Amino acid sequence: MKSESARVTTAEEARFRVSYPNSTPRAVKVIALDRKAEAVVKRLLQLPWNGASFFTASAFAAAPDQGASFSMTGWLADLAGLAKNLLDEVDTADLVVMVATAGENAQAASIIGEACSLKRVMTTALIVGGANASDEVLSKTLSHLRPWALMLVIANADDYIEDMLIALRA
Amino acid sequence: MLRKEQNDLLTQTGPGTPMGQMFRCYWMPALLADELPENDCPPVRVKLLSERLLAFRDSNGRYGLIDEFCAHRGVSLWFGRNEECGLRCPYHGWKYDVTGQCVDVPSEPDESGFKDKIKLKSYSLVERGGVLWTYMGPPDKQPPLPEWEFATVPAQHNFVSKRVQESNWLQAMEGGIDSSHVSFLHRGDLQSDPLFKGAKGNQYNLNDARPVFEVVESPGGLYIGARRNAENGHYYWRITQWVMPSFTMIAPRGNHSVHGHFWIPIDDQNCWTWSFDYHPVRTLTTAEVAAMRDGKGIHVKYVSGSYRPLANKDNDYLMDRAAQKAGKYFSGIEGIAMQDASLQESMGPIVDRTKENLVSTDNGIIMARHRLLRSVKAFIDKGVLPPGVDPVHQRVRSVAIVLPPDVPYKDGAKEALIARPGVAPASV
Repeated sequence: MKSESARVTTAEEARFRVSYPNSTPRAVKVIALDRKAEAVVKRLLQLPWNGASFFTASAFAAAPDQGASFSMTGWLADLAGLAKNLLDEVDTADLVVMVATAGENAQAASIIGEACSLKRVMTTALIVGGANASDEVLSKTLSHLRPWALMLVIANADDYIEDMLIALRA
Repeated sequence: MLRKEQNDLLTQTGPGTPMGQMFRCYWMPALLADELPENDCPPVRVKLLSERLLAFRDSNGRYGLIDEFCAHRGVSLWFGRNEECGLRCPYHGWKYDVTGQCVDVPSEPDESGFKDKIKLKSYSLVERGGVLWTYMGPPDKQPPLPEWEFATVPAQHNFVSKRVQESNWLQAMEGGIDSSHVSFLHRGDLQSDPLFKGAKGNQYNLNDARPVFEVVESPGGLYIGARRNAENGHYYWRITQWVMPSFTMIAPRGNHSVHGHFWIPIDDQNCWTWSFDYHPVRTLTTAEVAAMRDGKGIHVKYVSGSYRPLANKDNDYLMDRAAQKAGKYFSGIEGIAMQDASLQESMGPIVDRTKENLVSTDNGIIMARHRLLRSVKAFIDKGVLPPGVDPVHQRVRSVAIVLPPDVPYKDGAKEALIARPGVAPASV
């Protein structure tokens, strides 16, 4: 211990923390799962972000039947309506955030979650409008999201997602 | 990550600061009742929210929390004589009662009324559950007395300790809602600590090292649920309660006592960590209390005659590299409380949150900051009373429970999340 030039952090010592960036921007892909969530995500699009991009899967709310063939190409759209390849987007993501409205169809989570699982990408799901939702309604949304979200947040206020993305340096 | 101005807003709690004003909406634990054990006992110096105060108990058993310094020439009244219903400054004999009112100025004639013009700032101080609670806000806004369950159960059901933590309150409190660190930092203690071991829930913990988290807003703050797989497709949930601004309650294990914390700012670089253990429906055993006094569970051993932990920054927290290497203590520090405190203090007195890189499992922390920021703004701008002041928000319990897979835990555990006298806690 005597060879150390600094010991535990005092107020005085805290000034000497290295002042150099300790991370590079991360790619956060935010995907609305339904029309109401899309409105929330569209609002976010107007704000400045480091590495966040925004999409919607609301037009593809129903997941294909088990075993049915489908293509992930063109399964996702950006908010201008341009089709995107889900696997390509997930492949370049550090984190995928799925935004769902309580009571709306969140089945698209299974496709996105499957893709994230395949590419080993972390998923977070955010349920908006949860404050006024009944247990039954919330339960339905949760049953779609829980198998695919490694972190799940039920927020009363729609502005939480903005704070969350800022906190994550998105 | 927080912007600097947000970090400053949340970490500064002195007089006149927004966060300091919000803290002054609440009853806060100030001292253990044992610190003022009898009438006319020695006074105790107390610093809270960056104000130096003095607590004393007068000849009639009334508690007082007053400005530490004599109005005459600024002497610390800690040197005072506690006698005949007041504290007398030893310098020139000025005397104050528990309300801070000066009741005697020996050099002035009684008839002059001079003493009536002298009054030190004072705050309410009441005993509840072995703790002396203070309310430091405007007297006309004083809320009902605190109703945290640990403070309302019979004394034999309850054990409370406190320790000085050499860091800002917020980074200490954030440790209490950072459920994802348990699988690392405390992994050695679930099987060995006498206040944790033996519960069936421990096995779920050990079988599933990657819990999934769900954060849900509650009336008073947050529920932070950690989900692990149980039998038959069911989920084992551990639900932590956070009630604003700084109360946390950890999910129970088996029939062990339930425990939790308050983090109360001393000043911006130090806080009190209050740790309580109680059982709603049974007396704590002699062995349990002995273990708590011995620093097991969430409690600590002390430097003799103080509330400073025996393992502290001046002795590198008694770091044991051999125990770290052997896996006995993941960080090399003994005891759950000091495992947490050592790392939180290592961040520096006020961690620079502009440099942090949070990840999605930190959503409990992110949401807590969000609620604090939202509440302090509403309080300062519009006078909206923050969550946690209402005693209804205080009658809560943490929960460990097994539920079917599609049940929202706040509904599946709805009854169990509320403290009900005489009802056993939901625990696994």
